[in-house]
Amino acid sequence: MTAHQESQSPSTSEGMGLFERFLSVWVALAIVAGVLLGQFAPAVPETLSRFEYAQVSIPVAVLIWAMIFPMMAQIDFTAILGVRRQPRGLIITTTVNWLIKPFTMFAIAWFFLTVVFAPLIPAERASQYLAGAILLGAAPCTAMVFVWSYLTRGDAAYTLVQVALNDLIMLFAFAPIVVFLLGVSNIQVPWDTVALSVVLYIVIPLTAGYLTRRALIARHGSEWYDNVFMKRIGPVTPMGLIVTLVLLFAFQGEVILEAPLHIVLIAIPLILQTFLIFFIAYGWAKAWKVPHNVAAPGAMIGASNFFELAVAAAIALFGLQSGAALATVVGVLVEVPLMLALVRIANKTRHHFPETETKATAEARG
Amino acid sequence: MAIEVSDSAREWIKRKGGVATVRLSPRHGCCGGGADIAVAEARPPDDPACYTGVEFEGLSLYLDPTLVGQGLRVDVAGFLGMGHLFVEGVSPTRS
Repeated sequence: MTAHQESQSPSTSEGMGLFERFLSVWVALAIVAGVLLGQFAPAVPETLSRFEYAQVSIPVAVLIWAMIFPMMAQIDFTAILGVRRQPRGLIITTTVNWLIKPFTMFAIAWFFLTVVFAPLIPAERASQYLAGAILLGAAPCTAMVFVWSYLTRGDAAYTLVQVALNDLIMLFAFAPIVVFLLGVSNIQVPWDTVALSVVLYIVIPLTAGYLTRRALIARHGSEWYDNVFMKRIGPVTPMGLIVTLVLLFAFQGEVILEAPLHIVLIAIPLILQTFLIFFIAYGWAKAWKVPHNVAAPGAMIGASNFFELAVAAAIALFGLQSGAALATVVGVLVEVPLMLALVRIANKTRHHFPETETKATAEARG
Repeated sequence: MAIEVSDSAREWIKRKGGVATVRLSPRHGCCGGGADIAVAEARPPDDPACYTGVEFEGLSLYLDPTLVGQGLRVDVAGFLGMGHLFVEGVSPTRS
């Protein structure tokens, strides 16, 4: 890459605000706040946990909807009509996301958590952490990819299509993949519990988001929707995430205080998996001579996760006190520094890719 | 040239009234942050005064002023009689 080309990529400070740049710090503070809340004011989480309906915690459900609904409301599903554009990028990312990533996540997490770290993590706890890793592996990135695409000067149109396609596939593929991999791991979760969590935390927010989008755009127009409505509800997601983490760690205090090392041990396979998936997608894109503005966001989508969904499913399936919920939070903890490292790698290797669409890819598009 | 419009997109826009708006649509990240994505819609803008108007091969195009001169291209994709306009040649930005 020439100095000129490198300078074309936005800097991290340009691309990310204070909140998201220091997300790891806020997550760490939420962990501390939650542990303190659980230790010194246990009545708060105990009282909140009493509000249940059909074994679903109402405060947790509200927080999870607050996290997920804004992300679903901004998905433009009509972008799926562009599915024949950039077919190589779509094939690579879709294959990596759904046919490779869940299984490498399972294999790497199983190897580290139940074999390498067996002397350090009790077997029952290790299988819960494995369940959390499986949930992370089955939930691909749905919104942060716009930030990663911006930081790598990605193709905006491709990013829109890939996100819409992923969310549609997620609707049908998330539950079967999770149930299959949990079954392989001998972690028994009733189908009806998985189905309930998919309905509660994917189908309902996705349908509500879609209907809200259609209704408000029909009434007020798309500019109002983007610039007024989404501007108001967009920041609810990260706020919901932090409040959920405080509540979650109010229940997890004992584990954190007894075995803080577990956070580091969980992080190791998650970090390895992120790099592996990035390099599989990125290397494949290079072999297929996919332009950099598709290769970079495509590899980022594969590497990153839809943490809110993974956290929600872990809480719904295993509870707030579970090791699975803790494992999904470790994913959030390491996400931003990790993804920024991948952004730097992508920007520094830009010169290995065609900058614009090659004749071959144009012909493939027809 | 401020913008390029593919033949199929030009026909599509003409069928929808001959007016299109190319603007920036903000997308929020789940962990904070966001980016503005260039989108095109076959309709006039809410406030034309905020846009740069261009008469182009029988079309009335309204461009977000920050997108003028970026060499972008509008294309249409779709199937089963449905279509969606896409903007090529411009990376996500941040306002």
